[in-house]
Amino acid sequence: MHILVVDDDPLAGEMTAALLESQGHEPLLANDAMEAVEQLDTHSDIKLIVSDMHMPLVSGLALLAMLREQDNHLPFILLTGDTPDASLRQTPGLDACLCKDAELAWTLEAAVKQALDS
Amino acid sequence: MALDISRFIQRFVEEAADLLPRLREGISALEQGRADREQINELFRAAHTLKGSSRMLKLVPITALSHSTEELLSALREGTLNATPPVTSLLSQAVDGLSDLVSRLADGATGDELPAADEALCSALESAAQGQTPTQPNHSDTPTPTTPSSSSTPTSSATLVTENELRLSDTVRVRLDRLDDVIRLMGEVLSGHHHLHGLVDQARELSATLPTEQQGPFHAFHHELKDSVLSHESLMSDLHDRALQMRMLPLSVVFDPLAHMSRELAQSLGKQVDCRVRGSEIELDRQMIDRLSDPLIHLLRNALDHGLELPAERQSAGKPSRGQLIIEAWQDADGVVVEMRDDGAGIALDAVRQKALAKQLISEEQLNALSEQETLELIFLPGFSTKSMITDFSGRGVGMDVVKRTVVDELNGDLQLASERGSGTRFTLRLPLSLAMMRVLLVSVGGVNLGVTAPYVSELVECSSQSFIDAAGQRTLILRNEFVPVVSLAQLLELPATTAATDNTLLLVVHQRHQKLALVIDSLIDERDMVIKPLPVHLSYLPLVSGMVSMGRNALVSLLHVPALLEATRQNAPRPSHERASPTLAKRILVVDDSLNTREIEKDVLEAWGYHVTLAENGRDGLAKALAEPFDAVLTDVEMPVMDGFALTSQLRENELYRYRPIIIITSREKEADRRRGIEVGADAYIVKGSFDQNNLVATLQALLG
Repeated sequence: MHILVVDDDPLAGEMTAALLESQGHEPLLANDAMEAVEQLDTHSDIKLIVSDMHMPLVSGLALLAMLREQDNHLPFILLTGDTPDASLRQTPGLDACLCKDAELAWTLEAAVKQALDS
Repeated sequence: MALDISRFIQRFVEEAADLLPRLREGISALEQGRADREQINELFRAAHTLKGSSRMLKLVPITALSHSTEELLSALREGTLNATPPVTSLLSQAVDGLSDLVSRLADGATGDELPAADEALCSALESAAQGQTPTQPNHSDTPTPTTPSSSSTPTSSATLVTENELRLSDTVRVRLDRLDDVIRLMGEVLSGHHHLHGLVDQARELSATLPTEQQGPFHAFHHELKDSVLSHESLMSDLHDRALQMRMLPLSVVFDPLAHMSRELAQSLGKQVDCRVRGSEIELDRQMIDRLSDPLIHLLRNALDHGLELPAERQSAGKPSRGQLIIEAWQDADGVVVEMRDDGAGIALDAVRQKALAKQLISEEQLNALSEQETLELIFLPGFSTKSMITDFSGRGVGMDVVKRTVVDELNGDLQLASERGSGTRFTLRLPLSLAMMRVLLVSVGGVNLGVTAPYVSELVECSSQSFIDAAGQRTLILRNEFVPVVSLAQLLELPATTAATDNTLLLVVHQRHQKLALVIDSLIDERDMVIKPLPVHLSYLPLVSGMVSMGRNALVSLLHVPALLEATRQNAPRPSHERASPTLAKRILVVDDSLNTREIEKDVLEAWGYHVTLAENGRDGLAKALAEPFDAVLTDVEMPVMDGFALTSQLRENELYRYRPIIIITSREKEADRRRGIEVGADAYIVKGSFDQNNLVATLQALLG
């Protein structure tokens, strides 16, 4: 059982992965939406996706829309470097929208738990 | 328990070390008006990335500053704001601030120990993002609290070390004296090798004394010995070159600390400065760099202390309150030039005269005989700088005389000074080329290999020869929004012309400052870092060659001196004949374009048809010139800094004199929307550069002028 982390910034991606690992998950990394799709094709045991919002070419939201269109309904958590506004947080199909900050350790743990339990 | 991700701080420092130079480059591209949409996007993403990672690591000041920077970049990205000089200056200050914070982290400070972000700067960035005219943040009001980096706890750096111990660096440190030993030994081996050549010659002579039947095998032996000696020689000289290269360092090792020092010094003097550094990638021998740093530090202190005025003084002189200090290096014909210039008060000649007299360095008679330049250079006399002039900063007991002596005697270079009262001072250091290492592009033309150093190379273009246009007898390439003259390098160098196998022409576009030239070449060979050797004395008169590089086995390649090539092209260019011009036809035309090449070429075309041409380099310059004297027609480009062609056209139309005069827009914008906009602002004609034809231009002009 893996959690897929998608982030174009390798440092942020690895930090997110480190957080997930410390919480007992097995993270997989993808640098962009294209790599994310490849990872999803190779690993059938991905149970959740944590994606950055701002990425070149395909944004986190576009990735979500693309997956849902392809009938992929894995839980999806969006991360953003900005403070997310209400409309972003309420995007349909999104399990959580979190700000990438020092609190992420806690907020991400809670969001992952909730997404996997529901 | 939550994971402590502070162990990623070292990674963050590395990431920032990669992103900050890219931000700097992007901002300097913005400044020069050559940043496109994608580059602005990249700038935005870099700031965004810094913000995101620093936020996760709780590096609050870095988050705050990168957030404000991102806001301003976002406004640029969305086009609600233009990259005016005040905007780019704010962005540079932001990058300076970020660099300072990151270097504290690199020195071992923890997130909590970082000083708060400069609030004045953050709010200046954000209000600029909202379209308010940027005001320069006033540093004297908000002194930034600085935590001495010595307070960083040893434990924090210890954990960093243990976290990183498995990642091996791909470099090793070698003591400089050991490296020098190797280089010295290599030199000795190389010169000792000449002895073997002598032995080979002796062997040949000996063979002649042998009986005929033994000469055959001995001859073969002699050949093998000779081959082996020659191949070793090339290996050894290669090894010597490599050993020398190991001692090369980029100028950034002195430039970067200078930029940092300038900000700190300025702050302590109550002055404001933007310090820009260019050309720091040029590599010089470590020994030269070592000796260069003291003179440069002295010049920097001198510029900040005596050159730059206090913010209030600058404002009352009508200058921006922040001074500009530019430290720039480039490769020139016979060396590397390092220039430091400020836009301060300049040197007061009267003060220099008085001082020289008071110090009895010169008699009044001698003084009267001196030109202004010679008077300026009195500051290099020993004993000129004295205690009364030396302050804490520019002093350190060193005078300008010592700086000059170091540059001239120790570095074998030259130091020049230029100063204009009220607008600044410029010190130019010229250093010998020996041992300079640079990126070189190797090309082939007319069966000869030639090199061009990277700073002169603009781009390589391959295009069909039909895409050239003819402008006043000059083959011309339309490169985006610019006319670039095309010349055959073979012809310029009087080399045999080679017949092109394909229809396509390979062009090496070179430039010096704003002037470009497209050289027709046969092929590109390679691009690599090479040690540049000075020309031997008997070849030093060759104006088009600036040095040599060795390539492969004992092959020397000449480096082209681009400024001389540009000069040679200007001299050879077919001048338009003015014979066709009849006095009645001598109409006055104003040509407005920000590209020097384009202006010159349009001027040539129009003069060939007998028009009088005046040039302007942007809309505002054009408007000023058009209002100062009447022109019969105006020809303008669209995309220009300061004021674009649309704005110029509509402003001219508001003026009584230009309400009905012909205005022709000539641009690379092909979109119908642009064409419509051109007509809306009142242009009479719209000519697209891509389909430029001088007859078309002249016919249009003639029709409009009636």
